[in-house]
Amino acid sequence: MNTSTPNRHSRLEALGIHVPETVVTTRELTEGISAVRDADLQRITGVAERRVYDPDPAAAENSFSMALSAARDCLAASRYGAADLDVVISASITRFTDGGRFTFEPSFASLIARELGARRAVHFDVSNACAGMMTGVYLLDRMIRSGAVRNGLVVSGEQATAVAETAAREVTDSYDPQFASLSVGDSAAAVVLDASTDEADRIHYVELMTCSEYAHLCMGMPSDRSQGIALYTDNKKMHNRDRLKLWPRFHRDLLAKQGREFTDEAFDYVIQHQVGTRFIDYVNQTAETEFGAPMPTSLAVVEKYGNTATTAHFLTLREHLRAGTARPGSRFLMVPAASGVVTGALSATITNMGV
Amino acid sequence: MGMVIAAAHTATHHGAGPACAVALASRAARACLEQAQVSPSSVGVLINVGVYRESNTFEPALAALVQKEVGINLDYIADPAPAAGFSFDLMNGACGVLNAVQLAQSLLDTGSADRALITAADVHPGGDARRDPHYPYADLAGALLLQRSADPDAGFGPVSVYAGDGPTDTEGYLDTAAMGSDGRSRITVRRTEGHGARRSAHAAACTAAYVREHGIDPDRTLVVGPRAAHDNVVAGEPHTAAPILGYLRALAAPRPADRDRLLIVTAGAGPSAACAAYRPEGW
Repeated sequence: MNTSTPNRHSRLEALGIHVPETVVTTRELTEGISAVRDADLQRITGVAERRVYDPDPAAAENSFSMALSAARDCLAASRYGAADLDVVISASITRFTDGGRFTFEPSFASLIARELGARRAVHFDVSNACAGMMTGVYLLDRMIRSGAVRNGLVVSGEQATAVAETAAREVTDSYDPQFASLSVGDSAAAVVLDASTDEADRIHYVELMTCSEYAHLCMGMPSDRSQGIALYTDNKKMHNRDRLKLWPRFHRDLLAKQGREFTDEAFDYVIQHQVGTRFIDYVNQTAETEFGAPMPTSLAVVEKYGNTATTAHFLTLREHLRAGTARPGSRFLMVPAASGVVTGALSATITNMGV
Repeated sequence: MGMVIAAAHTATHHGAGPACAVALASRAARACLEQAQVSPSSVGVLINVGVYRESNTFEPALAALVQKEVGINLDYIADPAPAAGFSFDLMNGACGVLNAVQLAQSLLDTGSADRALITAADVHPGGDARRDPHYPYADLAGALLLQRSADPDAGFGPVSVYAGDGPTDTEGYLDTAAMGSDGRSRITVRRTEGHGARRSAHAAACTAAYVREHGIDPDRTLVVGPRAAHDNVVAGEPHTAAPILGYLRALAAPRPADRDRLLIVTAGAGPSAACAAYRPEGW
């Protein structure tokens, strides 16, 4: 069934999200942490507040329920029903179901496909740190372009604040490897992709790479000091200038192969990974130097939602499209930055996507 | 041009230290590159499909750690001849290898990669499967190197994935509400009574559906089923690496005179099953 053509493209057809109702401010989070002052956390990360899952077992709000809710929100905005889906890809890093079970099998994707009623969908999970949803979009784009499938759903639900709970118990100061865990927030996002029929709605390209020398700089696993999952990040090495140059160098080389430069892309907006306000500024400044060109308007939601891991780019996109602070018909650049380390670029024009 | 298995290897745990999925996967992967005589930089995409891993690590993708061990795209800027290798973990229980084969077909078809490396490594998070009587799987890895073939008759047919009816028979999870500070070494794999028979029935139904949908002649096909690799070579059941082990066994045996292709079948938690026809080069 290989009907691949070089000029075949996919598009972002619909986008849905779920965010928990509970808001926790950085002041509230740091009240119980003697080693960290809220002023330090807010100054370093720019995160003023984040959404946090409801810990009441009766509420059953977890990675899985949030992912399902985002998938339903997305399908409500899509022309497709669940039964029409050819593929369901789940990209959660935190795979929590009821009762605090962190799931390894069956795949979240198989459970989500079943709950949605996507009976005949190919299903699998991808796990690629904060680049997980972007990885799912990359794979679905290739499956659509190769003619293997017509459409699909990429979904992720993140109960990321589970690592913040552990950090709140264990962190000793702002240089602690768990310090970054205090900046995360919970959310879910889902996108439907299908074939692009015109340039008004098109993923022009999505390219990713992993520079594995730095694979150990951010590791997530259960804590060995208390009951909880933890994330240990060497922030200094992870976010140093040489790491941040990887995306612009890679992107510049990709464009050069087609005889193009960054300014030729005429991006209207850039969405960086939502690590923190300083991080976003630093990445954009580094890129301006590397590309020798100004960055487009940088969209962010990190002040309001924190670092929402795999969902960050799509949560940002949805919030700004809904608020009217990003215009339909624009060209968006999304840049992942994830443990691995994974970077790359997604270029898309978005006009009629259901939100 | 079809996509073929250029090399396949497995790696078992031996030695005194704890079993490590990254180390086992890397060993199997390096053996594939050596056999095919290709460099790490020629691998465009590495897909790791293992489920159970050391310390229950959930970030980064274990694929990135395997990629580092194998020496693929260490640092794009520092490398004088950079090749932008990419990697990720794919998890779908026992069906991961065939999901990855399907993705590799799309990646090769779109020119996104010239070669794809699949690793399938499972280890008990505590480092020794034999010490946990409730954990059924073996500490074992497999790897496949996939590339295009000039032989138009060789290679993989379509991959089909089937969701089964009924609840999942197998659940693997870490109970974070009861793990205490031992979460790095604990894992629960719960299987309902009769799961083996139901898995076999699901695999058989999917095999029949695949044969019908794709016009396969069953009399000319050697089925490499989900239990093909289960004997006593390793302690415990091969998990995600089972189809790689089954494939190697099928090719190591004399080819039955009336068979000219394989049908690789996997089935497991979900319930999910997957099938793919495969005609080896020169078989």
